[in-house]
Amino acid sequence: MLEVTGLTTKYGAISALRDASLSVGEGEVVGLIGPNGAGKTTLLGSIAGLLPIDSGSVSFEGTDITSAAPEKIVRSGLALVPEHRRIFADMNVEENLKIGGVTVTAGERAELLTEMADLFPVLRKKWDTAAGFLSGGEAQQLAIARALMSKPKVIMMDEPSLGLAPILVDLVFDLIETLRSQGRTILVVEQNATRMLKAADRAYVLRSGEVVASGSGAELLERSDLFDTFVGGGR
Amino acid sequence: MFPNKRRDVGFPILGSLVLFAVLFGGGLIYQTILGNGSAERLVTTMLIDAIIVIGIQIYIGNTGILSFGHIGFGAVAGYAFAVFAIAPEEKLKRIPMAPFGLTDVQVSPVVAIIIAVLITLVFAFIVGIGLARSGAQSGSVAATVITLALLFVTHEVAKSWPELTGGNRGGISFGIGDSLQSRWPVLLALFGAMLVARLFGQSRSGRLAIAAREDNLAARAMGVNPLVQQMAALLLSVAIVSIGSALRVFEIGSILPDRFFFDYAMLTLVMLIVGGRNSVTGAVLGVAVMTAARELARRLGQDGFEAFGIGLDEAPLDWIFRENLNSIVLGVAMVAFMIWRPKGILEDWEFDQWLYRKIGRGAESKPERLSELDTVPDAAFSASDISVSFGGFHALTDAGIDAKSGEIVGIIGPNGAGKTTFVNVITGMVEPTGGRFEIDGADLSGKQSFELSRSGLVRTFQNLRLFGALTVRENVETAALVAQEHRSDRVLRSTDALIAEAGLWEHRDRRARELDYGNSRRLELARAAAMAPSFMLLDEPTSGMSDSESITMIEQVRHMAATVGAGVIVIDHDLAFITGISDRIYVLDQGSVIADGTPDEVQANPQVQAAYLGSAAIT
Amino acid sequence: MTELLQNLIDGLGRGSIYALLALGVAVVFGIMHMLNFAHGELITIPGYLTFWAFNNGWNWWTVVPLIVVSAVLSSLLIERIAFSRVRGATDFTMLLTSFGVHFIVAAGFLLYVSASVKTIPRPGWFANTVSVGSLNIEVFDLAVIAVTAVVLAGTTWLLQRTMFGLALRAAASDFDTARLMGVKSDSVIRGAFALSGFLAGIAGVFWIMREGQVTPTAGINPMLQGVLAVLIGGLGSLRGAVLGGLVLGLAEVLLRSWLPLGIQNLTTGFVFLMIALLFIFRPGGLLSVPQVERV
Repeated sequence: MLEVTGLTTKYGAISALRDASLSVGEGEVVGLIGPNGAGKTTLLGSIAGLLPIDSGSVSFEGTDITSAAPEKIVRSGLALVPEHRRIFADMNVEENLKIGGVTVTAGERAELLTEMADLFPVLRKKWDTAAGFLSGGEAQQLAIARALMSKPKVIMMDEPSLGLAPILVDLVFDLIETLRSQGRTILVVEQNATRMLKAADRAYVLRSGEVVASGSGAELLERSDLFDTFVGGGR
Repeated sequence: MFPNKRRDVGFPILGSLVLFAVLFGGGLIYQTILGNGSAERLVTTMLIDAIIVIGIQIYIGNTGILSFGHIGFGAVAGYAFAVFAIAPEEKLKRIPMAPFGLTDVQVSPVVAIIIAVLITLVFAFIVGIGLARSGAQSGSVAATVITLALLFVTHEVAKSWPELTGGNRGGISFGIGDSLQSRWPVLLALFGAMLVARLFGQSRSGRLAIAAREDNLAARAMGVNPLVQQMAALLLSVAIVSIGSALRVFEIGSILPDRFFFDYAMLTLVMLIVGGRNSVTGAVLGVAVMTAARELARRLGQDGFEAFGIGLDEAPLDWIFRENLNSIVLGVAMVAFMIWRPKGILEDWEFDQWLYRKIGRGAESKPERLSELDTVPDAAFSASDISVSFGGFHALTDAGIDAKSGEIVGIIGPNGAGKTTFVNVITGMVEPTGGRFEIDGADLSGKQSFELSRSGLVRTFQNLRLFGALTVRENVETAALVAQEHRSDRVLRSTDALIAEAGLWEHRDRRARELDYGNSRRLELARAAAMAPSFMLLDEPTSGMSDSESITMIEQVRHMAATVGAGVIVIDHDLAFITGISDRIYVLDQGSVIADGTPDEVQANPQVQAAYLGSAAIT
Repeated sequence: MTELLQNLIDGLGRGSIYALLALGVAVVFGIMHMLNFAHGELITIPGYLTFWAFNNGWNWWTVVPLIVVSAVLSSLLIERIAFSRVRGATDFTMLLTSFGVHFIVAAGFLLYVSASVKTIPRPGWFANTVSVGSLNIEVFDLAVIAVTAVVLAGTTWLLQRTMFGLALRAAASDFDTARLMGVKSDSVIRGAFALSGFLAGIAGVFWIMREGQVTPTAGINPMLQGVLAVLIGGLGSLRGAVLGGLVLGLAEVLLRSWLPLGIQNLTTGFVFLMIALLFIFRPGGLLSVPQVERV
């Protein structure tokens, strides 16, 4: 469904991503793990059109979307829940959700709003609260709900458990499970590698901008060298 | 004051002479060829404009703050000059009721210029304080609006205080025959302006101002207080604008409010921007180019193509070639340059520095390798019980570390563990809600970042903050200039040696923005070392590096720290790098220190593995 | 007491125009981070059209829509020709671009129309007053205040309740994330310029009426008042811009009445002095928006 081939992205002189490739099939939950600074966020940002791509290609459902504008990419059905959530703090929960649904018709938007209110009871309680006042867990749910408002075929999440207390991390993974059971396709960047590998069908390990390992979640979990690969031992 | 006498004093003097000769010589040739009075007037006007534009360059060029207000200062100086210099008989006709008994005062033009400069400087000082309060820094919008408001205030006051200024219609005039007759004062002032502008640009104050222009945050982290340098640039620049404005009034022979308003502000700004605002050579080039362009447009507007004796029937073009064509040229030039070449024709190119590199520098030999210091001056850093919360979210809870000179201390932790917040606290960017940190017992909490670096804690930045338009050498020299002032009790290494030590000798005269990533990192390290720090705080020094690059970085950091006798506190996510480089390690997770010890101890700690791979790894 | 009330109403009338101008400047600043020094041209251009229209037998009823529509179109046109090319450039570049645009428009009128003052007839009711108790209130002030109240209410509705308004606010607070949601950058920027032009158009109707004339540099004053009001209110805050406009208008009128007779003509100077003091004690403006420093 989503094919990334040989992606290289630079920040000024920094190569944040070197020749990275991955693919996501329909209905899959794919994890992307790796240490800080490995290029995970850059990879998602490049796919979503936020960052200029130096070389390589991204195709979605057979259409080339390399370096397309982000507003175009989301319209094609590929949504990103950005790192640090990036919710609109001055706007209330409902307004945030509405903006998430800027690409759909007014009728669909109303339907989706009800759907989100059911899926996220926490948000329903805070419907008119300015999003800046939400707790970390609530804000993360809002960020995910906001992305769902565009009726995406694939949803990408960048570190959804970042900065959350352990109990809320559980909640995020439960949510991923729920979305999977609805048959959605998900690509998740996570630092919590073990949890991610357990939740994912397949996963890729990124290090210094390169894909250094991939396989099913279970396979990767078995790899005894994972800790070393992960934190940079064994060189 | 000047890091390199030959480069920073000798060549600027030589360069100013050449620039002066070219501008004035060009003008002389033009007026000789045309041989009429209006050509001569044009050249004189150009020379005076050049003084004022160079004056403005000192401020805008060195601080990066866009100012419309310099022409407002020019108005103050122009009026002050006129009021003091004009004969009482003339004043009786124009401003018989002048306040403070000024009607009867008369001084010589030279004294009047001095008085005008002094009065204007007082105004500039007050405005400068306002600018500082507004948080003025490169490109700052609020500061620009303040200067724009200043231009309006002076214009308003000039218009509506006829007792002093002669008001909007009368103005003040010298009467026929009394105005500036000789070009000598203009030439003298012009050469002086060029010289002062160039010397300031190379001086300590100018260097620090330019560093802050390039990156305010990094400059403060290098011990620069940008507000002080901006004020210095402002006062110097206003002094020169004042002299130029007084001469302008003297030359025209009268002053009216509109002479020092929008149109003239626009003209001088366009001249500066077109040539290249960051360079004095650019300012001078801009004056020449725009004077020529405007004169061309003026004559086209008057006579169409007949101005060149081309026998074209220009009737169809009459709608374009109208009088005042020259005024639209300014606006078009401004917008065109902003869209296609926002930094002007010459950008940062400075004639005398180019000349120095071509003929002045001679052969340079690579400095000897620096030996590591035998005796490291004792120093101790300690942070204890640091807590930070943002609106209920506890980013840090009672976190603390200790470090001694000669030691390398690592801090690791996963994303969101609080590492960045910790760095921000001990570099003065985030106010902690609790706790304190100190060097050798001196409390540093609550200090500004430039005070912290002067106290010996110097940082680098995760996402690289070099002074891009400055060369490698100038980057390091900036830090050294601060160190000479504030770190003189330490061993100060030569900047060239530090550059060579960082492996940048081949690149010493390249601009920092042209360096590749690894070299940029090494330059940041050399620049920090030039501060002669007690402690270097390295924020993710290997971020974005490949594995092999970060391995070589270990040795470079160690050696660089040892040559200046600094302790190192290094924050990184990369456990291999951290264990390879550190003597001791602190592990942060969820805002607290969860473990500390030698690299081996930390690596064996199950809690650390859990923090890295996720909580489920323990079970 | 009567005098104070009288002055308050005068000041509100004056301040309402400033508020509309400031809000227009603030909307564009919010989305593009550009302080538009060419905002006054959205009054100059319609001003000349008004002059032309009256010479061709139009009256105020037909001229008012002409002013508003031409202000919106001018705003869009200037964005298309100039500002769209410096999107994302440094603040320095954007400031000078807008200043250059001001200059081109002003010089264009100077060159191709005339340097002389063009007078525009004021409507018959312009100088009328109504008496309420001992107050003599100018109909003009009442009209300005009423229309401004309606326009501000409408703008609030637009920003709070419509998808366009939500998109505009989202893009102003985080442009990239708004695009991730599917907000089209071109449309939202053009929308901001259209709104800014509309607000300037409404302000322009009253400004042109009050001045009764237009000159090539007529845009300078409204631009300066708008920009200053934005700064007084706090850069980055729409509410602040409106508040700043009202405060500026009130300050002008009140100062004029309080200053001793001899120095009344220096009112503007004193207003600026007060603004300077405000900046020194509250650099962020009245409703300052906290600026986060990114490391």
